[in-house]
Amino acid sequence: MTTTLGLSRGAARAQGIKEYATTRRAKQDHPLWFLIPALVVLVVFFFIPTLFNFVYAFTDWSSFKTQINFVGWDNFVSLFSSGELINSLRVTLVYAVLVAVFQNVFGLALALLLERDTTLNRAIRVAFFIPVVMSALAVGYIFQAMLKPEGAVNGIIGFLLGQNVEIAWLGSTTWTIVVVALIHAWKWMGLSMLIYLAGLKTINADILEASRLDGAGWWATFIHIRFPLLAPAVTFNVATALLGSMNGFDIVQATTAGGPGGTTELLNIFIFRTFGQGLFAQATTMSLVLFLMVAILAFPVIRALRKREDVL
Amino acid sequence: MKNTFRGAVVLAAVAALTLAGCSDPGSGSGGDSASAAWPAQDTDLSGTTLTVWAAQNSNKVPDSVVAGFEKLTGAEVEVVTIPDPYEQSIQTKVATGDKPDLAFWQPTASMLTALNASTNLQSLDDAPWLDSYKPELRDITGILDDTRYAALITTPAVEGVYYNKEVFEKAGITELPTNWDEFIAVARDLKTQGTTPFFDFGGGTPWATQWWVQVQLADAAKDGLWDEVNANEKAFTDAPIQDAINEYNDLIAEGLFNADLKTATFEEQGPALLSGEAAMAVQVNSFFGQLQSLADTAELDQKIGFFPISPSGNVGTFIPDQSNALVAFKTGDDKREAAARQLLSYWLGDGYADFVDAQATVSLQTGVDSSAEVPEALLAVSDSLADSVGSMQALAVANPDLYLNLGDMIQGTMTPDQVGEATQKQFAELAKAIGAPGF
Repeated sequence: MTTTLGLSRGAARAQGIKEYATTRRAKQDHPLWFLIPALVVLVVFFFIPTLFNFVYAFTDWSSFKTQINFVGWDNFVSLFSSGELINSLRVTLVYAVLVAVFQNVFGLALALLLERDTTLNRAIRVAFFIPVVMSALAVGYIFQAMLKPEGAVNGIIGFLLGQNVEIAWLGSTTWTIVVVALIHAWKWMGLSMLIYLAGLKTINADILEASRLDGAGWWATFIHIRFPLLAPAVTFNVATALLGSMNGFDIVQATTAGGPGGTTELLNIFIFRTFGQGLFAQATTMSLVLFLMVAILAFPVIRALRKREDVL
Repeated sequence: MKNTFRGAVVLAAVAALTLAGCSDPGSGSGGDSASAAWPAQDTDLSGTTLTVWAAQNSNKVPDSVVAGFEKLTGAEVEVVTIPDPYEQSIQTKVATGDKPDLAFWQPTASMLTALNASTNLQSLDDAPWLDSYKPELRDITGILDDTRYAALITTPAVEGVYYNKEVFEKAGITELPTNWDEFIAVARDLKTQGTTPFFDFGGGTPWATQWWVQVQLADAAKDGLWDEVNANEKAFTDAPIQDAINEYNDLIAEGLFNADLKTATFEEQGPALLSGEAAMAVQVNSFFGQLQSLADTAELDQKIGFFPISPSGNVGTFIPDQSNALVAFKTGDDKREAAARQLLSYWLGDGYADFVDAQATVSLQTGVDSSAEVPEALLAVSDSLADSVGSMQALAVANPDLYLNLGDMIQGTMTPDQVGEATQKQFAELAKAIGAPGF
């Protein structure tokens, strides 16, 4: 077992921190079997369901029959031969990328705006963090009501413009996905903000002072010094936003339920619909595909982001 | 090393136990209730709580029955509203082992199959109320593989045209259309006079879109269309189903529907028809329930009428929906299962007259008169039942998401051809899972 104190390997090497092996003493202090309680929870609630996810994908499990039989690759063949799965995969990817971009841009902007520890800033930080702890379904339903053609958003715009506005915010087959991604980003931007704030606090004041003495302005300091030094926070935020929103369901289900015209039908909504039809095996197959896609995407993304940390 | 080994043993044991405990969670429990006894309607049930699942448009239906039953037996009955899409939510819940005592459920063979009736539902074969039904309604629906699983409580819905009488009158339409061509002619006539002929909704869950296709299939259904579809001899991509989809699309393109078709929702349909904003809606009985919540019988009689429509005449398309019937679940708790049967006995026994009155609905029983308050439109619906034909839900082995695909067509993300293809594909998938021969 080796460790690099939480830094990326490149960064650890750059700072001259050697990877070290656990000593015999450490082994005695923390015997391996201490892990068992946590492992049991992990195995029962994570590994076994995941394992079943693999197993059921090769069966004909449905609500119509009591027996479950193995059918080989049947489910995969029929899924990939239909365009629906590909469409949902595409929608899911677009959604994830949009959420990752919006959530990080908003979170970073908020962190920079609320960086100083004044009382007012503290209060505003709390306000922006509240959506993070709100129920996602509640958020979705509230936005759905506000974005209706006769909803509050149009009411406010209409009041400001002095004329009746009836925009169907969730009615466009092109832009609705952007709207729901914005809602998702709005809900979670408080968390990104918090992590960016923490990142900003760790930046050594000496470095910032040095840059000021060198005559660097706010923007130059941010681009050349602060943002590169935020790399670990960026890694965490981008990875969680991107991979988390690939598993998105609740907000989109509450606002559009996949509509209009299937343009916001995330893979999870498609899975939910298929499951609801009673085709449990097919739904399982799809969730396996989603699992694989998230895994395939996660490794290169996290690797690339960790690579950026090597400058530290 | 020894500790590691011990850990591995514990892990393996946990894994084995969990694996052994994992089987189809929806398939367990529930004994054989074929010989179940039917308790007397007034058996004391103090301390028993029954759960009834209902949809947003059926959660008020049990009110009078629940009140009467609670008073008579001391039981507590909880009506839980399950959000739309109702059927999908219930199937998902039941699959994970979550079951109520009773639920509103579409009593068609396809939907009973979808609940895996023989495993999950109580048989109602010897129910005491069966002989009270009007003879022609007794076996109309609710039966799967010769076992009765659903108790019909109100007249099954009929797909047809609800229209605003005042709008028709003002437009000088005195004769109701007697076939599809006349029906469309009336719509065009209304449009030239500046009235929106049809109101449908593509926003939210666009479940009413499928009625437009299904009423056009009434004649073909009479000639066994769904038998051919069930045998995989005909597909949704063949005439007449594809033609009906195309026709619906053409009518939309022609501008015969409300301008906000893409974003309108079910909640807006009733008010639109009642206010005369639109002249007609192709809908089913649950839509009339919405109208009843908006206006009293006198106003409804004055404003709203109903006529069935089919390509060649006025044949209605019959579709029992979830508000028409209840199913009783095998919960594994004998006491509650008996109590559920008792509630049904009361509902269709001593409580039925009150229920018919409270719901202002048509009676299914010879011994109970229909409510004097039944609106004319609903009587027209009930009258059309005698010579109506079954809908896709009633006659096809599976129930694909035709309405969703049609909703996509309204939004422009699917062509009519793609609607036919996608629906057929899903139908085949479901038929295969069900084990229908030919798939």
